[in-house]
Amino acid sequence: MRRFLILAFLLFLTLVLPGTLFHLLAWSGIKPDLTMLLVIYIAQHSRPASALAWGLGAGLVEDLYLGHFVGMYSLTLTVVALLTLYLNSRWYRENFILTVLLVFLVTAVGQLLIGFLGFGAGLSWSAGDIFRVVLGVSVYNAVLVLVTYPWIHRSFMQGWLRYQAKYER
Amino acid sequence: MWKLGESTVGRRVNLTGIAVLVFFLLLGILVSMRLTGLGRTFPNPVGGVIQRLASPVENVILSVGNRIKRDTRALWSFDQVEKENVALRRDVNKLTGENLSLKEQILAGMRYAALDQGEFRSPALDKYAKVGATIIDRNPTAWYQTLTLNRGSADGVAVNDPVIANLGLVGKVVSVTAKTAEVLLITDGQGQVSALVRGSSGNPTFGIVQGTYKAGSRLTSTGHLEMLFRRADKVNVGDLVLTSGLGGVYPVDIPVGKVQEVQLDKTGLLKTAYIDPLVNFDSLEEVYIVKTVGGK
Repeated sequence: MRRFLILAFLLFLTLVLPGTLFHLLAWSGIKPDLTMLLVIYIAQHSRPASALAWGLGAGLVEDLYLGHFVGMYSLTLTVVALLTLYLNSRWYRENFILTVLLVFLVTAVGQLLIGFLGFGAGLSWSAGDIFRVVLGVSVYNAVLVLVTYPWIHRSFMQGWLRYQAKYER
Repeated sequence: MWKLGESTVGRRVNLTGIAVLVFFLLLGILVSMRLTGLGRTFPNPVGGVIQRLASPVENVILSVGNRIKRDTRALWSFDQVEKENVALRRDVNKLTGENLSLKEQILAGMRYAALDQGEFRSPALDKYAKVGATIIDRNPTAWYQTLTLNRGSADGVAVNDPVIANLGLVGKVVSVTAKTAEVLLITDGQGQVSALVRGSSGNPTFGIVQGTYKAGSRLTSTGHLEMLFRRADKVNVGDLVLTSGLGGVYPVDIPVGKVQEVQLDKTGLLKTAYIDPLVNFDSLEEVYIVKTVGGK
């Protein structure tokens, strides 16, 4: 329960911070996608069903928080969780550089999917805009790995975010 | 065999089911996105709760962040701040200049008002229109003593209009453009004023006031104005010299100067009165142009 609450609080922060703190730290208008980064971290450190559930749930919460295009982030973050699970099963997650690369790639796919879904929803984004946003957000998320991954990985492995089986509780 | 068949069938069913599920899921999401697009309204109580929870936190973070960013802006955007600093310094200099200019204009206005109240009153001047003017230039050469004023033919100024200051006569306009007028000072050797000396008895003695300024003689001790009289004329040191109004240029009774010294000519027939002008030409800033030519 404590793990769930902490993750829910982190999810809340990832919704709040991009529009506030990272609005001030925006880089040519580019902000990181913190919810996507959190889903990647959760998927790296959870079992498949839990990872997919967090991806779908976090996406749905973000959709409702944003208040439009409901389903866009639900689908995207589910796919992000799925892709992270796939890559994580093949890449060694203790390798810091690989984690940076994983976050960059998965974020890029997630942002591309958002761009694709935006087209489907009738949004008129230019290819140049999509490329700029995809590349910018992916780089920003990858840079944030350097700052956030060490402590969140430690927390998932040994700290408050560590998954405890029922027999351990 | 059954197990294998059951497994194969079960697997086929599951794959098809998953494909159908994914298809409908995608379809549902696209429909949902269409129905909840920008500008569409739909009931969103969960979103409302999250927004209500988030807004105070967002407000605090944004205001604190803005404050920090504002306070440390010089560090983050040093070039921009430096450019702004240069621009602001330029603006400050410009505004300071404008401020000084406005103060000068106010002071000039006050001096015009003092002039209007009159250190001297000449009824002859009252019938003429007058226009206040500021000295904008002095003759840069050593050949003439002239001033340039910021009034010209557009203000009704004409050649031969007298120019006066608070204490007395300054000179006359010798050339005019639309916006400027050049004034020949009475101290210049080219300028002559028909004048009279009014002594303590009150009887006038007429003569011509001549400027003594010639190239190279400006700093001589003999003063800037002189006037020739007959030996018998009663002229004393301290007598006031006024315009006589006879020359056709200057109205009568405008103060010119005071007799400073009287010397007999070598022949003994004439005497020369050296006159100290009442007006300090070096510190003169504003004058009145009397429109005698076209502005009665």
